[in-house]
Amino acid sequence: MHKTGLLFDQRYLLHDTGSYHPEVSDRLLAAYKGIKDSELLSDLILFQAIPADIRWIETVHDRAYIDRLNDACVSGRKQFDSADCQICAETYDTAVLAVGGILRAIRWVMNGKIDNAFCPIRPPGHHAETNQAMGFCYFNNVAIAARYLQQEFHIEKVGIIDFDVHHGNGTQHIFEKDPSVFYYSIHQHPSFAYPGTGREFEEGSGEGLGFTKNSPVLPGGGDKEYHTLIQQDLVPAFDRFQPDFILVSTGFDAHMDDDMADMNVTSEGFTWIMSRIVELADRHADGRIISVLEGGYSLKRLPELVGQHVGILLNGAQAG
Amino acid sequence: MLVTKSMTKKVLTVKKDAGLFEIRNLMKENNIRHLPVVDGENRLIGIVTDRDLRSAMPYRIYREPTTASEESERISKKKVADIMTPDPISIPARYTIQDALLLIDAHRVGAFPVTEEDGTLVGIVSVRDLIRAFINVLGIGQPGTLLGIVVEDKVGQLKRIVDAITEENISLGSILVARYWDEHKRAVFPYLLTNNVRRIKKKLEELGFQLLDPMDWYFDRVKK
Repeated sequence: MHKTGLLFDQRYLLHDTGSYHPEVSDRLLAAYKGIKDSELLSDLILFQAIPADIRWIETVHDRAYIDRLNDACVSGRKQFDSADCQICAETYDTAVLAVGGILRAIRWVMNGKIDNAFCPIRPPGHHAETNQAMGFCYFNNVAIAARYLQQEFHIEKVGIIDFDVHHGNGTQHIFEKDPSVFYYSIHQHPSFAYPGTGREFEEGSGEGLGFTKNSPVLPGGGDKEYHTLIQQDLVPAFDRFQPDFILVSTGFDAHMDDDMADMNVTSEGFTWIMSRIVELADRHADGRIISVLEGGYSLKRLPELVGQHVGILLNGAQAG
Repeated sequence: MLVTKSMTKKVLTVKKDAGLFEIRNLMKENNIRHLPVVDGENRLIGIVTDRDLRSAMPYRIYREPTTASEESERISKKKVADIMTPDPISIPARYTIQDALLLIDAHRVGAFPVTEEDGTLVGIVSVRDLIRAFINVLGIGQPGTLLGIVVEDKVGQLKRIVDAITEENISLGSILVARYWDEHKRAVFPYLLTNNVRRIKKKLEELGFQLLDPMDWYFDRVKK
């Protein structure tokens, strides 16, 4: 059994997106319920978040952008950059706390207190660009985590795996020229889903050419397509890249019962995906893996999906 | 949507007495495939393409022009006037992008010179320029989500859809209407600048619209 950390902080419920938004705090309550129901709680190492030092957020976002978000929240605005990004007075602090929780998880993994961790945070991050909030995201949590690993702990190669049903445009753009961070994403085909990037021919640029890989899945695809693409695209790419640490952008919105997109992945399918990721971490990164929540909007399905997800981090990969 | 807004204005031209190796190098260096031929007053008199050029000489000479052989010696004496298409079809500067699209489709060419009434060359519009314009029209340079909706072919349907989208406070990147297999129906494709399409999808269904299975979407039901 692994020493698995769980970032548990109720302050993540404070980011209020208004009455007609799918990215709501009930998602986290559903996640907590799933972990409680799975009876894994006593085996997990719980920890709270500490707000991130802004200089780490500045490794990805411009200071002017960070301040702009703070100003918008403080001045009581309800929307930031686009109608998708609804904010409240607490959004900025919550976003800083989301980054801070993940950085704490990294410190705990790096000093051996835990082997891996699940960070169910809000707001999510993978759509956030250097200077622009997009698709419910403000700070790119996973991108900041990768820079933190490299700059604070001298981790050379970071592998990011993003299985949210939407392409992580922000993460891809931040690292597309950087050969020290490999970004892999599997998502609904961009001609049919937000944000319209993540096409098969996007493979990085300059020195980073070949260190971005996208596996778009056509609408209606499910376990079979995910199995094939992960075996064919992700596994060989990461076996070549040999990451020293794996960060996961975990989204559960490719589930068949999630109506944010048109994918048909089953609950077993998600177990299979996460098991392959844990195997990659075992093979190359001493099992060091931090999973960060992105999307997943089916309040009915989130409990079982999160319960299973944490179970794999704790008990290891299930044979495929 | 005038063609002059989308065309390439800084267009390279040649005179009719230019040599074939000269234009071969010009095309290669500038990565272009069409060269308008003009007279002393910049009036269009012909067009020469890389295909004309390739047809005028063997590939080995096209690849590495030398005057070492008798054959290449002979080719080096040929002029643009010998291989160009004289009086080519050109597009008047007053034409629209739509005109250009239809003409390119009808004539199966890769580019059209654009001229004023008196024949003065003002630019060239290529398939690539039109593709760029079409990406712009589709709005796919911006993040968003495409929906597909089947509607009865009767007046007022689009208004109901746009009203519903407006009520949800969603910005429209574009909206396309296409033919559907069923003669009495149309397919409508709104490109919404949002990730948050759950409520609008539900709302449209409540209004009685049928959402298309994404795998049945198509844009190309126009007769060939």
